[in-house]
Formats: sequence, structure tokens, C-alpha cells
Amino acid sequence: MPDGWDDEQLLAALRESMRARQVVPDAFVDIGKSAYAWHNIDAELAQLTYDSSRERDRDQVASTRSETASIRALTFTSACLTLELEVTDGALVGQVIPARAGTLETQTGAGAITSTPVDEIGCFAVEPIPASPFRLRCRMADGTDVLTGWITL
Amino acid sequence: MRDDPYVVALVTRAAGSDQGAWNELVERYAPLVWAICNRYRLSNHDIEDVGQNVWLLLVEQLGKLREPAALPGWLATTTKRECLRVVTTAQRLGTRLDDAPEFVDDVMIDEEILRAELDAGLRAAFAELPPRCRQLLSMLISDPPFTYAEISATLGIAMGSIGPQRARCLGRLRRSDALIALGAGDCTANTPGGGPGA
Repeated sequence: MPDGWDDEQLLAALRESMRARQVVPDAFVDIGKSAYAWHNIDAELAQLTYDSSRERDRDQVASTRSETASIRALTFTSACLTLELEVTDGALVGQVIPARAGTLETQTGAGAITSTPVDEIGCFAVEPIPASPFRLRCRMADGTDVLTGWITL
Repeated sequence: MRDDPYVVALVTRAAGSDQGAWNELVERYAPLVWAICNRYRLSNHDIEDVGQNVWLLLVEQLGKLREPAALPGWLATTTKRECLRVVTTAQRLGTRLDDAPEFVDDVMIDEEILRAELDAGLRAAFAELPPRCRQLLSMLISDPPFTYAEISATLGIAMGSIGPQRARCLGRLRRSDALIALGAGDCTANTPGGGPGA
């Protein structure tokens, strides 16, 4: 806070500070407030260990361009399980390894949650592809509870 | 930048399970996130995308921030990284061809942090003023400004009292805890490129 400001300068600074808040849409602020819904979720966090789009960036110099339409593949790993994902045209398909049955919850940043069954060989399909960003929570029948980081496609 | 005990307390409460404290943090720093996104000239849709990611990442970091006072810097760095992600994706897809990111450097980011802290301090100080002062100052800073005659009629005070009351209210604003917390006499806030803690 500049000490030497006279009243005119202080008023101008106050006007500017109010303007800086007014130009920010309320919807933008509300998105930030609703993010708190994901505070203190009690599940083990799985880390992103493979992302085909990053590999592609790295290999771009050496590779041909024939794979531009390739499928995006992601792998998340935690101590208890590995989650393999593929993004196809209209769905997000994947498998839980080691295979086991349970429920896959898709949580969007806006707070919506949808559930998808995971069959006994660990496979699932989420349709349509959730709006980014989203995260996945694997609640398996054996009690394993794992949450991925935020995914933006 | 000085450690603002009020912000430190907000972070600590939000790391517990205080939605109200979290909302205050978002209100306080949303303009910072917004301003940095604008430096990258993102579309409104992309700005919302970046904002959402930044706040979601902060939710995860709440309990781990070693120095809550460093929050503005953390937010600015995270916002910058998310903006660059959006811009590089768009460039790869060929939907964005300009070179905006090259013009956003760390000096600009530091300026946005300092401005955001000053603005947030001023708004917090204003909110602490008595209602009469808030009414008067609101009319004085409105655009277009009200005339003294209009202020006199609206607030029911004599024209001759407006000047002295204005001076008294601004005096209270100057002495408020929220502004003192920013570090009175710390002129780095006014110097472009002056780093925090200089």
C-alpha cells in the first residue's frame, strides 16, 4: 500500500479495485466456489503414468503423421490398481487391472456424478464422454476406493 | 509481499471444512486468475476451463500449502501453466495462430499479483467501513461520478459536509487492518517490475 497517496490517488485506486472485481463474471466465481465439493474426498489417489498425447508431442520430430487420428490412451496407477483408459469417438472405455467388479463414478468439475458398472473382468464404458475436466473414482466390490487426478481431454 | 494474517486464516479454515472461508478466497482471487487468462487472450469458454482447473487443483493443495501467504504466487503460476496448456493445444490443432504467449512474461505475472493483492486489500478495507462511508465513497467513485448536489440530496448531508466526510472516510480506509497488512510504505507495490519482498 503506497503510503504517499493523497486522497485523489486513493479514490482512484479504490475505483480501479472495484472495477477489477466487476469485470469478472459471477459464473466464473461460482465455478471456483463449487470446486470445494471435492475437498476431503477419502479415497486413494491414482497418478497419471501414461498419456499418449504427451508421448506424441515427444515423438513428433521422428514420427510420421499417419497417426493423427489415433486413439487417446491414458493410464492411472495407484498402489491397489491400474486403470487403463481409451477415448473413442463417442465413449470412454477402460479396464481395471487386476480385474474385479465394482462401480465407476465419473465426477465432473461442475459437481455432477454419474455411475457406470464395472464388470467382473474389470471392463467399463462411459457414454457419452464426460465434459472436461472430470475425474474417475473406482469403488470396487472388494472395498478398494481409488480416485484419479483431473482429466482434461 | 507481507504475510496477511487474514489470508493465512482463510487458507487454514478452508483446509479444514469451511466452505465460507473457501468462498472468500475465491472472491478475493478470482480477479487475479481472470486477469492472467486475459493476458493470454483466451476465449470466455477457455477462461472458464482454466479457472475450473485452477480451483480444483487448489482444493487438492489446501492442506499442503507450506506457506499460505504464498497463495497468490501459487495461483498465478498455476493459472499461467493452465493457460499455456490451452494455448499449446489450440496451436497444435491449428485453431490459434497468434503468438500471444510469447508476450506474457514473468514481469507481467508479478505485476498482476501485486495489483491483485492491492485491489483485494482495498476491497476488504472498503467492506470494513461503516455503511455511511461506503455509501459516500461508492457515489464518489461511480462512473460517471455523482455531483455533490446529487450526493447531498441522496445521503441527506449538507454540501459543505461532503468534503470533510470524504476526508474522514478515506482516513479510515487508510488505517484499516486490510491495508496495513499489505505493508504500509512498501513502495514496491507501485513500481512496475518490483518483485515481491524486494
